[in-house]
Amino acid sequence: MTDIHRLGLRQTAQALQAREFSATDAVSAALERIRLTEPRIGACVTVLGESALREAKLLDESGPDPARPLWGVPLAVKDVFDLKGAPTTAGSRLLENYFPAFEATVVERLRAAGAIFVSKANCDEFAMGSTTEFSAYGPTKNPWDPALVPGGSSGGSAAAVAALQVPGAMGTDTGGSIRQPAALCGCVGLKPTYGRVSRYGIVAFASSLDQAGPFARSVGDVALLLSVIAGPDGKDSTCSARPVDDYLNLKEPKAADLTLGLPDALWSAGFEPSVDEALSAAKKALTDAGVRLKSVSMPNLRYSVATYYILAAAEASSNLARYDGVRYGQRAEGDPELVALYRRSRSQGLGPEVRRRIMLGTFVLSSGYYDAYFKKAAQTRRLILGDYQRALGECDYLLAPVTSIPAWPLGSFTDDPLTIYQLDMMTLPLNLAGGPGLSLPAGLSSAGLPVGVQLWGPSFGEAGLLSAGALLERIFPPVGPPPMAG
Amino acid sequence: MAINENDARAVANLARLELGETAGQVADPARLKALVDEFSKIVAYMDILNGAPTEGVEPLYSPMTDPLPPRADEPARDGQKADELLGQAPERVGRYFSVPRIF
Repeated sequence: MTDIHRLGLRQTAQALQAREFSATDAVSAALERIRLTEPRIGACVTVLGESALREAKLLDESGPDPARPLWGVPLAVKDVFDLKGAPTTAGSRLLENYFPAFEATVVERLRAAGAIFVSKANCDEFAMGSTTEFSAYGPTKNPWDPALVPGGSSGGSAAAVAALQVPGAMGTDTGGSIRQPAALCGCVGLKPTYGRVSRYGIVAFASSLDQAGPFARSVGDVALLLSVIAGPDGKDSTCSARPVDDYLNLKEPKAADLTLGLPDALWSAGFEPSVDEALSAAKKALTDAGVRLKSVSMPNLRYSVATYYILAAAEASSNLARYDGVRYGQRAEGDPELVALYRRSRSQGLGPEVRRRIMLGTFVLSSGYYDAYFKKAAQTRRLILGDYQRALGECDYLLAPVTSIPAWPLGSFTDDPLTIYQLDMMTLPLNLAGGPGLSLPAGLSSAGLPVGVQLWGPSFGEAGLLSAGALLERIFPPVGPPPMAG
Repeated sequence: MAINENDARAVANLARLELGETAGQVADPARLKALVDEFSKIVAYMDILNGAPTEGVEPLYSPMTDPLPPRADEPARDGQKADELLGQAPERVGRYFSVPRIF
Protein backbone atom coordinates (compact mmCIF):
# COMPACT_ATOMS: atom_id res chain seq x y z
CA MET A 1 0.00 0.00 0.00
CA THR A 2 2.91 2.36 0.67
CA ASP A 3 3.81 2.33 -3.01
CA ILE A 4 0.60 3.72 -4.50
CA HIS A 5 2.50 6.88 -5.46
CA ARG A 6 4.80 4.85 -7.74
CA LEU A 7 1.94 3.64 -9.94
CA GLY A 8 1.34 5.32 -13.26
CA LEU A 9 -1.97 6.97 -14.04
CA ARG A 10 -3.64 4.05 -15.82
CA GLN A 11 -2.33 1.59 -13.24
CA THR A 12 -3.74 3.76 -10.46
CA ALA A 13 -7.10 4.01 -12.22
CA GLN A 14 -7.27 0.25 -12.83
CA ALA A 15 -6.33 -0.62 -9.25
CA LEU A 16 -9.01 1.78 -7.97
CA GLN A 17 -11.64 0.21 -10.23
CA ALA A 18 -10.58 -3.24 -8.99
CA ARG A 19 -10.87 -2.02 -5.38
CA GLU A 20 -7.24 -2.90 -4.68
CA PHE A 21 -7.23 0.31 -2.69
CA SER A 22 -9.75 3.07 -2.07
CA ALA A 23 -9.93 6.63 -3.39
CA THR A 24 -9.09 7.73 0.17
CA ASP A 25 -5.96 5.56 0.08
CA ALA A 26 -4.93 7.06 -3.26
CA VAL A 27 -5.48 10.63 -2.10
CA SER A 28 -3.78 9.99 1.26
CA ALA A 29 -0.76 8.54 -0.55
CA ALA A 30 -0.55 11.62 -2.76
CA LEU A 31 -0.85 13.98 0.20
CA GLU A 32 1.81 12.07 2.13
CA ARG A 33 4.09 12.23 -0.89
CA ILE A 34 3.48 15.99 -1.14
CA ARG A 35 4.31 16.35 2.56
CA LEU A 36 7.59 14.48 2.08
CA THR A 37 8.80 16.07 -1.16
CA GLU A 38 7.35 19.56 -1.06
CA PRO A 39 10.03 21.09 1.20
CA ARG A 40 12.62 20.13 -1.43
CA ILE A 41 10.79 20.97 -4.66
CA GLY A 42 8.00 23.49 -3.95
CA ALA A 43 5.66 22.27 -6.70
CA CYS A 44 2.40 23.46 -5.10
CA VAL A 45 0.91 26.90 -4.57
CA THR A 46 -2.09 25.41 -2.73
CA VAL A 47 -2.50 21.89 -1.37
CA LEU A 48 -6.16 20.88 -1.42
CA GLY A 49 -5.85 18.31 1.39
CA GLU A 50 -9.21 18.77 3.06
CA SER A 51 -11.40 18.97 -0.05
CA ALA A 52 -9.52 16.08 -1.70
CA LEU A 53 -10.09 13.79 1.28
CA ARG A 54 -13.74 14.85 1.46
CA GLU A 55 -14.26 14.10 -2.24
CA ALA A 56 -12.45 10.75 -1.88
CA LYS A 57 -14.73 9.77 1.00
CA LEU A 58 -17.79 10.56 -1.10
CA LEU A 59 -16.47 8.47 -3.98
CA ASP A 60 -15.66 5.57 -1.67
CA GLU A 61 -19.19 5.62 -0.30
CA SER A 62 -20.66 5.03 -3.75
CA GLY A 63 -17.88 2.71 -4.98
CA PRO A 64 -15.93 2.54 -8.24
CA ASP A 65 -17.74 3.46 -11.45
CA PRO A 66 -16.44 1.89 -14.68
CA ALA A 67 -18.01 4.77 -16.64
CA ARG A 68 -15.62 7.19 -14.89
CA PRO A 69 -12.12 6.42 -16.23
CA LEU A 70 -10.32 8.56 -13.62
CA TRP A 71 -12.41 7.43 -10.65
CA GLY A 72 -10.44 8.31 -7.49
CA VAL A 73 -7.24 9.32 -9.31
CA PRO A 74 -5.38 12.22 -7.63
CA LEU A 75 -4.27 15.00 -10.00
CA ALA A 76 -2.57 18.40 -9.84
CA VAL A 77 -3.60 21.38 -11.99
CA LYS A 78 -1.47 24.36 -12.86
CA ASP A 79 -2.63 27.37 -10.90
CA VAL A 80 -4.08 29.05 -13.98
CA PHE A 81 -7.11 26.72 -14.10
CA ASP A 82 -10.18 27.91 -12.23
CA LEU A 83 -11.28 25.40 -9.66
CA LYS A 84 -14.07 26.26 -7.23
CA GLY A 85 -13.11 26.59 -3.60
CA ALA A 86 -9.44 27.49 -4.12
CA PRO A 87 -7.74 30.70 -5.24
CA THR A 88 -6.47 30.89 -8.84
CA THR A 89 -3.27 32.86 -8.32
CA ALA A 90 -1.64 32.32 -11.75
CA GLY A 91 1.61 32.63 -9.81
CA SER A 92 0.85 36.32 -9.25
CA ARG A 93 0.73 38.36 -6.07
CA LEU A 94 -2.04 40.34 -7.72
CA LEU A 95 -4.42 37.34 -7.67
CA GLU A 96 -3.44 36.03 -4.24
CA ASN A 97 -7.02 36.20 -2.99
CA TYR A 98 -8.90 35.60 -6.23
CA PHE A 99 -11.55 32.91 -5.79
CA PRO A 100 -13.13 32.12 -9.17
CA ALA A 101 -16.88 32.06 -9.54
CA PHE A 102 -16.56 29.57 -12.42
CA GLU A 103 -14.77 26.31 -12.97
CA ALA A 104 -12.58 25.60 -16.03
CA THR A 105 -14.11 23.19 -18.55
CA VAL A 106 -10.97 21.02 -18.27
CA VAL A 107 -11.43 20.83 -14.49
CA GLU A 108 -15.14 20.04 -14.86
CA ARG A 109 -14.43 17.22 -17.32
CA LEU A 110 -11.71 15.67 -15.18
CA ARG A 111 -13.97 15.90 -12.14
CA ALA A 112 -16.84 14.29 -14.06
CA ALA A 113 -14.44 11.47 -14.98
CA GLY A 114 -13.83 10.92 -11.26
CA ALA A 115 -10.49 12.70 -10.74
CA ILE A 116 -9.68 14.33 -7.42
CA PHE A 117 -7.55 17.48 -7.34
CA VAL A 118 -4.92 17.46 -4.63
CA SER A 119 -2.98 20.59 -5.55
CA LYS A 120 -2.78 23.78 -7.57
CA ALA A 121 0.67 23.63 -9.12
CA ASN A 122 3.19 26.45 -9.17
CA CYS A 123 4.00 28.31 -12.39
CA ASP A 124 5.66 31.44 -13.69
CA GLU A 125 3.44 34.47 -13.16
CA PHE A 126 0.64 34.39 -15.76
CA ALA A 127 2.55 31.50 -17.39
CA MET A 128 5.25 33.93 -18.58
CA GLY A 129 8.60 32.30 -18.09
CA SER A 130 10.66 29.21 -18.81
CA THR A 131 11.89 28.31 -15.33
CA THR A 132 9.04 28.76 -12.77
CA GLU A 133 11.33 31.28 -11.06
CA PHE A 134 8.93 34.10 -11.95
CA SER A 135 6.27 32.83 -9.55
CA ALA A 136 5.39 35.22 -6.74
CA TYR A 137 5.22 32.14 -4.49
CA GLY A 138 8.86 31.16 -4.87
CA PRO A 139 10.60 28.95 -7.41
CA THR A 140 9.87 25.27 -7.98
CA LYS A 141 12.97 23.08 -8.02
CA ASN A 142 13.88 20.20 -10.27
CA PRO A 143 13.24 16.80 -8.61
CA TRP A 144 16.41 15.47 -10.29
CA ASP A 145 18.52 18.10 -8.52
CA PRO A 146 16.94 20.83 -6.36
CA ALA A 147 19.73 23.24 -7.33
CA LEU A 148 18.32 23.24 -10.88
CA VAL A 149 15.22 24.74 -12.46
CA PRO A 150 12.36 22.40 -13.44
CA GLY A 151 11.65 24.43 -16.56
CA GLY A 152 8.48 26.39 -17.05
CA SER A 153 6.09 27.85 -17.07
CA SER A 154 4.24 24.68 -15.95
CA GLY A 155 7.23 23.69 -13.77
CA GLY A 156 5.10 22.83 -10.75
CA SER A 157 2.97 20.38 -12.76
CA ALA A 158 6.04 18.67 -14.25
CA ALA A 159 7.87 18.51 -10.92
CA ALA A 160 4.79 17.14 -9.14
CA VAL A 161 4.53 14.30 -11.68
CA ALA A 162 8.28 13.59 -11.69
CA ALA A 163 8.53 13.62 -7.88
CA LEU A 164 5.65 11.08 -7.73
CA GLN A 165 3.31 13.49 -5.92
CA VAL A 166 0.62 12.70 -8.50
CA PRO A 167 0.40 10.31 -11.47
CA GLY A 168 -0.85 13.09 -13.78
CA ALA A 169 -1.23 16.85 -13.97
CA MET A 170 -2.54 19.63 -16.18
CA GLY A 171 -0.54 22.47 -17.62
CA THR A 172 -0.75 25.04 -20.37
CA ASP A 173 1.60 25.55 -23.31
CA THR A 174 1.79 28.96 -24.98
CA GLY A 175 5.39 28.71 -26.19
CA GLY A 176 6.57 25.39 -24.77
CA SER A 177 5.34 25.59 -21.18
CA ILE A 178 4.28 21.92 -21.13
CA ARG A 179 6.90 20.36 -23.40
CA GLN A 180 9.98 22.06 -21.95
CA PRO A 181 9.39 21.32 -18.23
CA ALA A 182 8.35 17.75 -19.16
CA ALA A 183 11.73 17.35 -20.86
CA LEU A 184 13.74 18.90 -18.01
CA CYS A 185 11.91 16.81 -15.38
CA GLY A 186 11.90 13.54 -17.33
CA CYS A 187 8.17 13.08 -17.85
CA VAL A 188 5.78 13.08 -20.80
CA GLY A 189 3.85 16.21 -21.79
CA LEU A 190 1.43 16.91 -24.61
CA LYS A 191 0.51 20.22 -26.19
CA PRO A 192 -2.68 19.44 -28.10
CA THR A 193 -3.65 21.18 -31.33
CA TYR A 194 -4.90 24.75 -30.81
CA GLY A 195 -8.68 24.30 -30.48
CA ARG A 196 -8.65 20.65 -29.36
CA VAL A 197 -9.09 21.50 -25.67
CA SER A 198 -11.30 24.24 -24.23
CA ARG A 199 -9.57 27.29 -22.78
CA TYR A 200 -12.65 28.29 -20.77
CA GLY A 201 -11.78 29.11 -17.16
CA ILE A 202 -8.02 29.26 -17.79
CA VAL A 203 -6.26 32.55 -17.07
CA ALA A 204 -5.45 33.94 -20.52
CA PHE A 205 -1.88 34.80 -21.52
CA ALA A 206 -1.85 34.84 -25.36
CA SER A 207 -5.17 33.71 -26.71
CA SER A 208 -4.07 32.60 -30.19
CA LEU A 209 -1.28 30.46 -28.71
CA ASP A 210 -2.49 29.14 -25.31
CA GLN A 211 -3.49 25.49 -25.14
CA ALA A 212 -4.07 23.23 -22.13
CA GLY A 213 -2.62 19.74 -21.98
CA PRO A 214 -1.59 16.85 -19.76
CA PHE A 215 1.57 15.63 -18.03
CA ALA A 216 2.09 12.02 -16.93
CA ARG A 217 4.82 9.40 -16.76
CA SER A 218 3.96 7.56 -20.00
CA VAL A 219 2.50 8.28 -23.41
CA GLY A 220 -0.51 6.04 -22.75
CA ASP A 221 -1.26 7.89 -19.51
CA VAL A 222 -1.16 11.24 -21.30
CA ALA A 223 -3.48 9.80 -23.96
CA LEU A 224 -6.03 8.83 -21.31
CA LEU A 225 -6.04 12.36 -19.88
CA LEU A 226 -6.41 13.87 -23.36
CA SER A 227 -9.38 11.60 -24.07
CA VAL A 228 -11.13 13.10 -21.04
CA ILE A 229 -10.39 16.79 -21.67
CA ALA A 230 -10.59 17.03 -25.49
CA GLY A 231 -13.63 18.08 -27.44
CA PRO A 232 -16.02 20.88 -28.32
CA ASP A 233 -17.12 23.35 -25.65
CA GLY A 234 -19.92 25.85 -26.11
CA LYS A 235 -18.13 28.14 -23.66
CA ASP A 236 -15.03 28.58 -25.87
CA SER A 237 -15.72 29.71 -29.43
CA THR A 238 -12.16 28.80 -30.49
CA CYS A 239 -12.62 25.21 -29.35
CA SER A 240 -13.10 23.05 -32.44
CA ALA A 241 -16.37 21.22 -33.12
CA ARG A 242 -14.48 18.29 -34.69
CA PRO A 243 -15.25 14.92 -33.12
CA VAL A 244 -12.55 13.53 -30.83
CA ASP A 245 -10.52 10.55 -32.09
CA ASP A 246 -9.95 7.39 -30.08
CA TYR A 247 -6.78 7.99 -28.06
CA LEU A 248 -7.13 4.84 -25.97
CA ASN A 249 -6.61 2.16 -28.60
CA LEU A 250 -3.48 3.48 -30.24
CA LYS A 251 -2.26 1.67 -33.33
CA GLU A 252 1.49 1.79 -32.93
CA PRO A 253 3.22 2.12 -36.31
CA LYS A 254 5.97 -0.30 -37.35
CA ALA A 255 9.39 1.32 -36.96
CA ALA A 256 10.27 0.46 -40.56
CA ASP A 257 7.17 2.31 -41.81
CA LEU A 258 7.97 5.50 -39.91
CA THR A 259 9.82 8.49 -41.38
CA LEU A 260 10.66 11.34 -39.03
CA GLY A 261 11.73 14.74 -40.32
CA LEU A 262 14.47 16.62 -38.46
CA PRO A 263 13.97 20.41 -38.78
CA ASP A 264 17.40 21.61 -39.91
CA ALA A 265 17.17 24.97 -38.17
CA LEU A 266 16.73 23.28 -34.78
CA TRP A 267 19.17 20.37 -35.10
CA SER A 268 21.95 22.64 -36.30
CA ALA A 269 21.49 25.06 -33.39
CA GLY A 270 24.37 23.70 -31.29
CA PHE A 271 23.93 21.77 -28.07
CA GLU A 272 25.66 21.57 -24.73
CA PRO A 273 27.87 18.41 -24.99
CA SER A 274 25.91 16.18 -22.59
CA VAL A 275 22.65 17.02 -24.40
CA ASP A 276 24.31 16.53 -27.78
CA GLU A 277 25.50 13.10 -26.70
CA ALA A 278 22.07 12.04 -25.41
CA LEU A 279 20.32 13.31 -28.55
CA SER A 280 22.80 11.48 -30.80
CA ALA A 281 22.21 8.28 -28.83
CA ALA A 282 18.44 8.78 -29.23
CA LYS A 283 18.75 9.22 -32.99
CA LYS A 284 20.96 6.12 -33.20
CA ALA A 285 18.43 4.08 -31.19
CA LEU A 286 15.73 5.14 -33.67
CA THR A 287 17.71 4.28 -36.79
CA ASP A 288 18.85 0.99 -35.22
CA ALA A 289 15.17 0.15 -34.70
CA GLY A 290 14.49 0.86 -38.38
CA VAL A 291 12.98 4.36 -38.18
CA ARG A 292 13.98 6.55 -41.11
CA LEU A 293 15.30 10.00 -40.20
CA LYS A 294 15.67 12.76 -42.77
CA SER A 295 16.59 16.39 -42.52
CA VAL A 296 13.83 18.82 -43.52
CA SER A 297 14.32 22.46 -44.37
CA MET A 298 12.45 25.03 -42.25
CA PRO A 299 14.31 28.27 -43.02
CA ASN A 300 11.83 30.62 -41.37
CA LEU A 301 12.25 29.07 -37.92
CA ARG A 302 15.12 31.49 -37.43
CA TYR A 303 12.42 34.14 -36.95
CA SER A 304 10.44 32.13 -34.38
CA VAL A 305 11.73 33.84 -31.25
CA ALA A 306 11.07 37.38 -32.46
CA THR A 307 7.74 36.42 -34.05
CA TYR A 308 6.56 34.68 -30.92
CA TYR A 309 7.65 37.32 -28.44
CA ILE A 310 6.00 40.10 -30.44
CA LEU A 311 2.70 38.27 -30.90
CA ALA A 312 2.56 36.72 -27.42
CA ALA A 313 3.47 40.03 -25.76
CA ALA A 314 0.87 41.91 -27.83
CA GLU A 315 -1.86 39.46 -26.86
CA ALA A 316 -0.71 39.48 -23.25
CA SER A 317 -0.74 43.27 -23.01
CA SER A 318 -4.35 43.19 -24.14
CA ASN A 319 -5.40 40.24 -21.95
CA LEU A 320 -3.74 41.66 -18.85
CA ALA A 321 -5.38 45.08 -19.20
CA ARG A 322 -8.13 43.67 -16.98
CA TYR A 323 -5.84 43.64 -13.92
CA ASP A 324 -6.47 47.23 -12.91
CA GLY A 325 -7.09 47.04 -9.17
CA VAL A 326 -10.81 47.66 -9.67
CA ARG A 327 -12.69 44.45 -10.43
CA TYR A 328 -10.42 41.96 -8.71
CA GLY A 329 -6.93 41.58 -7.39
CA GLN A 330 -5.09 44.02 -5.22
CA ARG A 331 -5.50 47.77 -5.17
CA ALA A 332 -2.62 50.12 -4.37
CA GLU A 333 -2.93 52.01 -1.10
CA GLY A 334 -3.15 55.79 -0.90
CA ASP A 335 -6.30 56.54 -2.88
CA PRO A 336 -4.65 58.33 -5.82
CA GLU A 337 -6.69 59.48 -8.81
CA LEU A 338 -7.94 56.78 -11.19
CA VAL A 339 -5.11 56.51 -13.75
CA ALA A 340 -2.49 56.62 -11.00
CA LEU A 341 -4.46 53.93 -9.20
CA TYR A 342 -4.30 51.71 -12.28
CA ARG A 343 -0.59 52.32 -12.72
CA ARG A 344 0.27 51.76 -9.08
CA SER A 345 -1.93 48.70 -8.61
CA ARG A 346 -0.57 47.04 -11.72
CA SER A 347 3.05 47.92 -10.94
CA GLN A 348 2.79 46.65 -7.37
CA GLY A 349 0.83 43.51 -8.23
CA LEU A 350 2.67 42.35 -11.36
CA GLY A 351 6.21 40.99 -11.37
CA PRO A 352 9.13 42.16 -13.54
CA GLU A 353 8.77 39.60 -16.36
CA VAL A 354 5.05 40.28 -16.77
CA ARG A 355 5.69 44.04 -16.81
CA ARG A 356 8.43 43.56 -19.43
CA ARG A 357 6.06 41.67 -21.71
CA ILE A 358 3.22 44.14 -21.24
CA MET A 359 5.64 46.93 -22.19
CA LEU A 360 6.79 45.08 -25.31
CA GLY A 361 3.23 44.18 -26.28
CA THR A 362 2.00 47.73 -25.78
CA PHE A 363 4.88 49.06 -27.87
CA VAL A 364 4.34 46.70 -30.84
CA LEU A 365 0.62 47.53 -30.90
CA SER A 366 1.10 51.27 -30.57
CA SER A 367 0.43 53.74 -33.33
CA GLY A 368 3.40 54.03 -35.66
CA TYR A 369 4.89 50.64 -34.77
CA TYR A 370 1.94 48.30 -35.41
CA ASP A 371 2.82 47.54 -39.05
CA ALA A 372 6.57 47.29 -38.50
CA TYR A 373 6.29 44.89 -35.57
CA PHE A 374 2.86 43.35 -34.95
CA LYS A 375 1.71 42.94 -38.54
CA LYS A 376 5.19 41.94 -39.66
CA ALA A 377 5.27 39.21 -36.97
CA ALA A 378 1.81 37.97 -38.02
CA GLN A 379 3.08 37.71 -41.60
CA THR A 380 6.19 35.85 -40.45
CA ARG A 381 3.89 33.54 -38.48
CA ARG A 382 2.32 32.49 -41.76
CA LEU A 383 5.78 31.79 -43.22
CA ILE A 384 6.53 29.57 -40.21
CA LEU A 385 3.19 27.76 -40.67
CA GLY A 386 4.14 27.24 -44.34
CA ASP A 387 7.48 25.70 -43.32
CA TYR A 388 5.69 23.45 -40.87
CA GLN A 389 3.14 22.20 -43.39
CA ARG A 390 5.73 21.68 -46.12
CA ALA A 391 8.04 19.79 -43.75
CA LEU A 392 5.21 17.50 -42.63
CA GLY A 393 4.50 16.78 -46.28
CA GLU A 394 7.93 15.17 -46.53
CA CYS A 395 7.65 12.81 -43.55
CA ASP A 396 5.17 11.33 -41.05
CA TYR A 397 6.12 13.46 -38.04
CA LEU A 398 8.76 15.99 -37.14
CA LEU A 399 11.30 15.14 -34.45
CA ALA A 400 12.86 18.08 -32.63
CA PRO A 401 15.03 18.66 -29.57
CA VAL A 402 13.31 20.45 -26.68
CA THR A 403 16.21 22.39 -25.16
CA SER A 404 19.80 22.93 -26.20
CA ILE A 405 21.07 22.75 -22.62
CA PRO A 406 20.14 20.51 -19.66
CA ALA A 407 18.23 21.86 -16.64
CA TRP A 408 20.26 24.83 -15.43
CA PRO A 409 21.01 26.24 -11.97
CA LEU A 410 18.38 28.48 -10.39
CA GLY A 411 19.11 32.16 -10.91
CA SER A 412 21.27 31.67 -14.03
CA PHE A 413 19.34 33.93 -16.38
CA THR A 414 16.80 35.80 -14.27
CA ASP A 415 18.47 39.13 -15.12
CA ASP A 416 18.92 38.31 -18.79
CA PRO A 417 15.47 38.09 -20.38
CA LEU A 418 16.66 38.02 -23.99
CA THR A 419 18.89 34.98 -23.44
CA ILE A 420 16.07 33.09 -21.81
CA TYR A 421 13.68 34.01 -24.65
CA GLN A 422 16.21 32.57 -27.10
CA LEU A 423 16.33 29.31 -25.11
CA ASP A 424 12.68 28.81 -26.11
CA MET A 425 13.48 28.56 -29.82
CA MET A 426 12.93 24.78 -30.00
CA THR A 427 9.36 24.90 -28.70
CA LEU A 428 7.87 28.20 -29.97
CA PRO A 429 7.39 27.29 -33.67
CA LEU A 430 4.74 24.70 -32.84
CA ASN A 431 2.53 27.22 -31.01
CA LEU A 432 2.84 29.64 -33.91
CA ALA A 433 1.74 26.87 -36.31
CA GLY A 434 -0.96 25.62 -33.94
CA GLY A 435 -0.18 21.90 -34.24
CA PRO A 436 0.13 19.21 -31.57
CA GLY A 437 3.43 18.26 -29.95
CA LEU A 438 4.44 15.45 -27.64
CA SER A 439 7.49 15.79 -25.41
CA LEU A 440 8.97 12.57 -24.07
CA PRO A 441 12.20 11.55 -22.37
CA ALA A 442 14.86 10.26 -24.77
CA GLY A 443 17.21 9.12 -22.01
CA LEU A 444 19.58 10.43 -19.37
CA SER A 445 22.62 12.56 -20.14
CA SER A 446 26.07 11.57 -18.93
CA ALA A 447 25.42 13.99 -16.07
CA GLY A 448 22.40 11.92 -15.02
CA LEU A 449 19.79 14.47 -16.10
CA PRO A 450 16.80 13.75 -18.34
CA VAL A 451 16.95 14.86 -21.98
CA GLY A 452 13.75 15.08 -23.99
CA VAL A 453 12.69 15.14 -27.60
CA GLN A 454 9.43 16.30 -29.12
CA LEU A 455 7.32 14.93 -31.94
CA TRP A 456 5.23 17.37 -33.96
CA GLY A 457 2.27 16.27 -36.02
CA PRO A 458 -0.44 17.69 -38.23
CA SER A 459 -3.29 19.64 -36.63
CA PHE A 460 -5.84 17.37 -34.95
CA GLY A 461 -3.55 14.38 -35.56
CA GLU A 462 -3.13 13.57 -31.85
CA ALA A 463 -4.09 9.89 -32.24
CA GLY A 464 -1.31 9.26 -34.74
CA LEU A 465 1.13 11.43 -32.82
CA LEU A 466 0.53 9.52 -29.59
CA SER A 467 0.83 6.18 -31.44
CA ALA A 468 4.21 7.18 -32.84
CA GLY A 469 5.15 8.48 -29.38
CA ALA A 470 4.31 5.10 -27.84
CA LEU A 471 6.70 3.45 -30.29
CA LEU A 472 9.47 5.93 -29.48
CA GLU A 473 8.88 5.41 -25.80
CA ARG A 474 9.64 1.69 -26.23
CA ILE A 475 12.76 2.41 -28.30
CA PHE A 476 14.30 4.97 -25.91
CA PRO A 477 15.81 3.83 -22.61
CA PRO A 478 13.43 4.46 -19.68
CA VAL A 479 14.55 7.31 -17.40
CA GLY A 480 12.59 6.13 -14.35
CA PRO A 481 11.86 8.37 -11.38
CA PRO A 482 14.54 10.79 -10.13
CA PRO A 483 16.95 9.56 -7.44
CA MET A 484 15.13 11.59 -4.76
CA ALA A 485 12.11 9.35 -5.28
CA GLY A 486 14.17 6.65 -3.51
CA MET B 1 15.20 50.41 -33.23
CA ALA B 2 16.63 52.03 -30.12
CA ILE B 3 14.27 53.16 -27.38
CA ASN B 4 15.04 56.25 -25.29
CA GLU B 5 13.65 57.28 -21.93
CA ASN B 6 10.83 59.34 -23.42
CA ASP B 7 9.71 56.47 -25.65
CA ALA B 8 9.73 54.10 -22.69
CA ARG B 9 7.72 56.56 -20.58
CA ALA B 10 5.12 56.91 -23.33
CA VAL B 11 4.75 53.13 -23.60
CA ALA B 12 4.54 52.72 -19.82
CA ASN B 13 1.80 55.31 -19.74
CA LEU B 14 -0.18 53.51 -22.45
CA ALA B 15 0.32 50.24 -20.58
CA ARG B 16 -0.79 51.83 -17.31
CA LEU B 17 2.46 50.85 -15.66
CA GLU B 18 4.91 52.87 -13.62
CA LEU B 19 8.43 52.99 -15.02
CA GLY B 20 10.70 52.28 -12.11
CA GLU B 21 8.95 54.67 -9.74
CA THR B 22 7.33 53.26 -6.61
CA ALA B 23 3.95 54.50 -5.49
CA GLY B 24 4.36 57.80 -7.28
CA GLN B 25 7.93 58.45 -6.05
CA VAL B 26 10.36 59.32 -8.85
CA ALA B 27 12.54 56.44 -10.02
CA ASP B 28 16.15 56.12 -9.05
CA PRO B 29 18.07 57.28 -12.20
CA ALA B 30 20.30 54.17 -12.35
CA ARG B 31 17.28 51.88 -12.09
CA LEU B 32 15.40 53.85 -14.72
CA LYS B 33 18.35 53.70 -17.09
CA ALA B 34 18.66 49.93 -16.59
CA LEU B 35 14.96 49.46 -17.37
CA VAL B 36 15.11 51.61 -20.50
CA ASP B 37 18.30 49.90 -21.72
CA GLU B 38 16.82 46.46 -21.18
CA PHE B 39 13.63 47.41 -23.03
CA SER B 40 15.65 48.93 -25.86
CA LYS B 41 17.74 45.75 -26.16
CA ILE B 42 14.62 43.55 -26.38
CA VAL B 43 13.04 45.78 -29.03
CA ALA B 44 16.31 45.87 -30.98
CA TYR B 45 16.38 42.06 -31.10
CA MET B 46 12.95 42.05 -32.76
CA ASP B 47 14.45 43.87 -35.75
CA ILE B 48 15.71 40.47 -36.94
CA LEU B 49 12.27 40.26 -38.60
CA ASN B 50 13.37 42.91 -41.08
CA GLY B 51 15.03 40.04 -42.95
CA ALA B 52 11.86 37.95 -43.23
CA PRO B 53 10.49 37.72 -46.80
CA THR B 54 6.94 38.88 -46.01
CA GLU B 55 6.17 40.86 -49.18
CA GLY B 56 2.53 40.12 -50.08
CA VAL B 57 2.13 37.57 -47.25
CA GLU B 58 -1.27 37.59 -45.54
CA PRO B 59 -0.88 38.03 -41.75
CA LEU B 60 -1.83 35.00 -39.63
CA TYR B 61 -3.52 36.06 -36.41
CA SER B 62 -4.87 32.67 -35.33
CA PRO B 63 -3.95 29.10 -36.26
CA MET B 64 -7.63 28.10 -36.12
CA THR B 65 -8.97 27.16 -39.56
CA ASP B 66 -12.27 25.59 -38.48
CA PRO B 67 -15.38 27.73 -38.69
CA LEU B 68 -16.30 29.25 -35.33
CA PRO B 69 -20.07 28.90 -35.17
CA PRO B 70 -21.81 31.37 -32.85
CA ARG B 71 -23.77 30.04 -29.90
CA ALA B 72 -27.56 29.95 -29.98
CA ASP B 73 -28.86 33.38 -28.99
CA GLU B 74 -30.22 32.28 -25.65
CA PRO B 75 -29.48 33.79 -22.24
CA ALA B 76 -27.18 31.75 -20.03
CA ARG B 77 -29.04 30.08 -17.18
CA ASP B 78 -26.04 29.49 -14.95
CA GLY B 79 -25.42 33.14 -14.11
CA GLN B 80 -26.74 34.84 -11.00
CA LYS B 81 -23.19 35.28 -9.82
CA ALA B 82 -23.15 39.07 -9.48
CA ASP B 83 -22.56 38.97 -5.75
CA GLU B 84 -19.80 36.40 -6.04
CA LEU B 85 -18.09 38.45 -8.78
CA LEU B 86 -18.49 41.77 -7.00
CA GLY B 87 -17.14 40.10 -3.88
CA GLN B 88 -13.73 39.87 -5.61
CA ALA B 89 -13.44 43.65 -5.94
CA PRO B 90 -11.04 45.48 -3.62
CA GLU B 91 -13.81 48.03 -3.03
CA ARG B 92 -17.51 47.95 -3.83
CA VAL B 93 -20.58 49.99 -3.02
CA GLY B 94 -23.74 47.93 -3.21
CA ARG B 95 -23.90 46.39 -6.66
CA TYR B 96 -21.16 48.64 -8.07
CA PHE B 97 -17.38 48.59 -8.30
CA SER B 98 -16.02 51.61 -6.48
CA VAL B 99 -13.19 53.79 -7.88
CA PRO B 100 -11.69 57.13 -6.84
CA ARG B 101 -12.99 60.36 -8.37
CA ILE B 102 -11.97 60.77 -11.99
CA PHE B 103 -12.24 64.59 -12.13
